[in-house]
This record gives sequence, structure tokens and C-alpha cells, in this order.
Amino acid sequence: MRTAASRLAALAAAALMMVGGVAAAQDPAHPNLMGIWKVTRPVTAAKTIDGRIPPLLPPARAVYAKHLAMAAKGDRSFDGVSDCLPPGMPHIQLIAKPIEILQKPTAIFFNYQENRLPRRVYLNEQHPADWDVSYLGDSVGHWDDDTLVVDTTTMNDRSVLDPSGLPHSDKLHVVERFRLTKAGRLENRITVDDPKTYARPWTMVVRYDRMPAGYRLQEEVCRAGALESEAPPPLAAKGKPGH
Amino acid sequence: MKRESIWRALAAMAATQLAAAAMAQTPPPKPLMLHDDPALALTNISHPGRPAPEGTAPPNPNMHSIEGRWWTSEFKPLLGPAPGVPPPLKPAAMAKLEQSVRNKNKGIPEADASTQCFPHGTPRVMESPYPLEIVETPGQVTILMETQHNIRRIYLQDHHNKMGESFLGDSIGHWEGDTLVVDTIGMNTRTFIDDEGSTHSNKQHVVERFRKIDGGSKLEVTNTIEDPDTLEHPYSYKTVYYWRPDMRTQEYVCEENNRNTVINGITTAK
Repeated sequence: MRTAASRLAALAAAALMMVGGVAAAQDPAHPNLMGIWKVTRPVTAAKTIDGRIPPLLPPARAVYAKHLAMAAKGDRSFDGVSDCLPPGMPHIQLIAKPIEILQKPTAIFFNYQENRLPRRVYLNEQHPADWDVSYLGDSVGHWDDDTLVVDTTTMNDRSVLDPSGLPHSDKLHVVERFRLTKAGRLENRITVDDPKTYARPWTMVVRYDRMPAGYRLQEEVCRAGALESEAPPPLAAKGKPGH
Repeated sequence: MKRESIWRALAAMAATQLAAAAMAQTPPPKPLMLHDDPALALTNISHPGRPAPEGTAPPNPNMHSIEGRWWTSEFKPLLGPAPGVPPPLKPAAMAKLEQSVRNKNKGIPEADASTQCFPHGTPRVMESPYPLEIVETPGQVTILMETQHNIRRIYLQDHHNKMGESFLGDSIGHWEGDTLVVDTIGMNTRTFIDDEGSTHSNKQHVVERFRKIDGGSKLEVTNTIEDPDTLEHPYSYKTVYYWRPDMRTQEYVCEENNRNTVINGITTAK
């Protein structure tokens, strides 16, 4: 009896430790965003919440018209994604490929299947005062009740906002508000503020579905728009000098 | 704070060492050689990493967690069982390494995966002289690397995912006490084991044992490589990383070479 009871107690203690371990590894104080997500519907052209074309200033409208005309002819050279460059923000959040979210109390990590790109969102920190501009910028975040607010700055102007080629400048400032909907989807309300490109800040909404448990991301290696993981051409084809 | 490039720091340290050697009227250190042949001189081992500066947050005392940001203490161009000693390569693989080293010394670097902006492969990716960040979540340990924005996912499960060959391979892990044991297979043959050009087959099998030492201020990884096609026998080496919570990862865009440039055949900071 005593042996059985102590075994039960040990089992219960082990179970408690496991639960404690998992809880400690996650972030019990906030909604659980952990998992792999994919946009519910591919976003081909970002629109405002009421379905309008974003409020482009006249010079930017001309740039956008040029991009649309290029895309109509199959020329996507305005979008660095075709050259394996990072898509920029918020473009990377619109691509219809899996996004892994790792959640910790001090940071949220967005790991994109798209060319293995990462975005690190440190929580309750300030943007560094002196930081190089980059495609994906610098992101910091905080929880506003059940909503994760992510603030991204310090982006270069070499990417486009969305696959349709909406332009932006290096004054771009992106604020994302992530929350779980009642249906279990992840909703991202993205506000774009760029006074050199848009007449006023505007907001779009993107939703994501959780991929089934056990889903594994692929190693995606971009090469001139082709997925290496799907069709690896032989390296020798490039030629080796001296051989 | 903007981080000075690691390669700039490396170059500065090498210059300081040379200047010190000159002042002391001692010759600079003899270059390591694959064999006793100047044409087979190896790139010298560098020490890019430094411990965290004064005032940095103390290391996490939980030895059963390797989470955090780390920076390698040593950049080893040749990943053999001892400094300057090549892996126990079979004759055909050794001949390839010799050719690669000869070409490098003629200023003709090998057109390997990393020079084409592909991932460096496992285990070479772990030798990168750029920071890495380890994140532990239920069932998974993720290593986020600045170099070529590589992401290693180590699934804490007892079977490989077998999703086909990849550059970084298929990694699973389990804890043995305070040691995380990582088992990796499924690497393609498009990468080298190391910078000098030791080659491997798709039968390469890498076992890494991660554990914190010195109260958590260092992470030690003991790496064992076996490859029945290219190695005479399995061998091991160690790499030590400093706890560096103060380092913030920068965006690495290989396609634009934004973090490095090559001067006189040596990768240096822009």
C-alpha cells in the first residue's frame, strides 16, 4: 500500500513538474500564440480595412502605377523577393507560407519559411538608439491586455509593402496588433505610417490559420526565385575556378 | 548599440599581435600547415569572441537550460580533432582538401555553398563568428543564427523527421542530465565540414553535446562526426561559446554582402 501510495505521489509530483516546466517555458500570463501559422487568404494587394487602395501621395501613386504596369507584363524586378532579398515589412507578414511563432515572456520570435528569415521582437524594450537600417527593421513589442503590439522602425526603402508593389520610404513605421480571435485564428491589424509616401496612416487586417500540430517547416533556400529544397541544381554547374 | 563588425575586430587583433611580435623581435607565429608544404598553409585560428563586458546581466544559473545569446570564442577554419589537424579523411577526401587549400593559397577560393549564399551546413554553421540565439519552447530547441539568417530546429523527439536532404540536416535532441544531446542526419553533400574544404557525404552523422560550464558563463559543445564514406573513423572536437546577452543580432543579407567584404582574399568588415 505504502509503496503504491508513494509511487502515486512520485507520479503526481512528476506530472506537476512537467506541467510546471511547460508553463515556465511558455508565457502563461498571455494568450498562447505559439505554433505555425499561414495567412487565411493570400494577400495579392494590400487594401485598407474598408477595402480601398491605400492613401498614396501623388509621387508615390505614380511609382505604384509603374509597378502595376511592370507586374502586368510579368516584370517583378520592383520586388526584391525575386532576387532572394528579404521582403521587408509588412510584406513578409502577407506571404502565403508558414510562419513559426516562438513565444517567451521576454521575446516573441517570428520565423518565416520564406528564405528562412527571422524577426525578433524583444518585449518591453526600447529600439536601439543607433542601429543600421535593414529590410525587416528593428522590432520591439509589449502586451496590451490580450493583444501583442509590435512596433517596427529603421527599415530601408529597398522593399515594397506588399506583393503588388505598394512603395514606402525609409520613414516607414509599422505597428502590428496581434490577437487570437474567438475562432482560434490569429488576427494582425497592421498600421502603416509613412508621411513621405502616404497622406495619412492606414490600417489593413490579415488573418492566419494555425497549421496542424506536428507540422514541420521546410528548409527553404532561395536562389533566383526558385526553391532549392524542391529542385536543387548541381553546384558544379556554376563551375569551379582552377578545376 | 551598433555592433562593430566581428571581422574588423579580428583584423585589428591580428594586427596587434603582429605588432607585438615585431616589437619583441620575435617572428610571427608559424602558420599551420596541412603537411610540411607552404602551399598547404592553413588559415590561422582566430579568436573573435570576447566574454560579456562588465555590467552585463549574469548568466542564467539554471544549468538545465542553454537559452540565450552566445558568441563563439574561437573561429576554427579547420575542424579536426585538434588545432591545425585535419579530420581523419579517407585518401580521396584528403586529396580534395589538399586541392582546396592549394587553391585558397593561390587566391582561388572554392565555390562552395556558403559563397553562393546557401547555408553553411552542419556542423560548420556552428563555427560562424557571428552571434547565435538559442530559444527553448516545449518540444523544441531553436538556434537562430545571424549568419545567413540560418535557423536550426532541434525537435525533442526520438525519431528523425526524414523530410529529405537539406543543408542543415534533420536534428532531434534529448536531455541527459544537464546536457542536450543533438543528433543530426540528412545533410546534402553541397557543403564542406569546415572553411578549408573538408568534404562529407550524405551519410554524415553529427552528434553535438551542449552543456553550460563555468556557472553558465560559457556553453561547451562537444561535436562528434562520423561518415563511413569520407572519414577513416569518427572524431570529436569542442567549441566554446561565451554568454553574451548584450549582443543584438543584425540583419545579414548575403545576397548584398552587407556584413562582409573580401580584401586580399580575406573576408573583412566593410
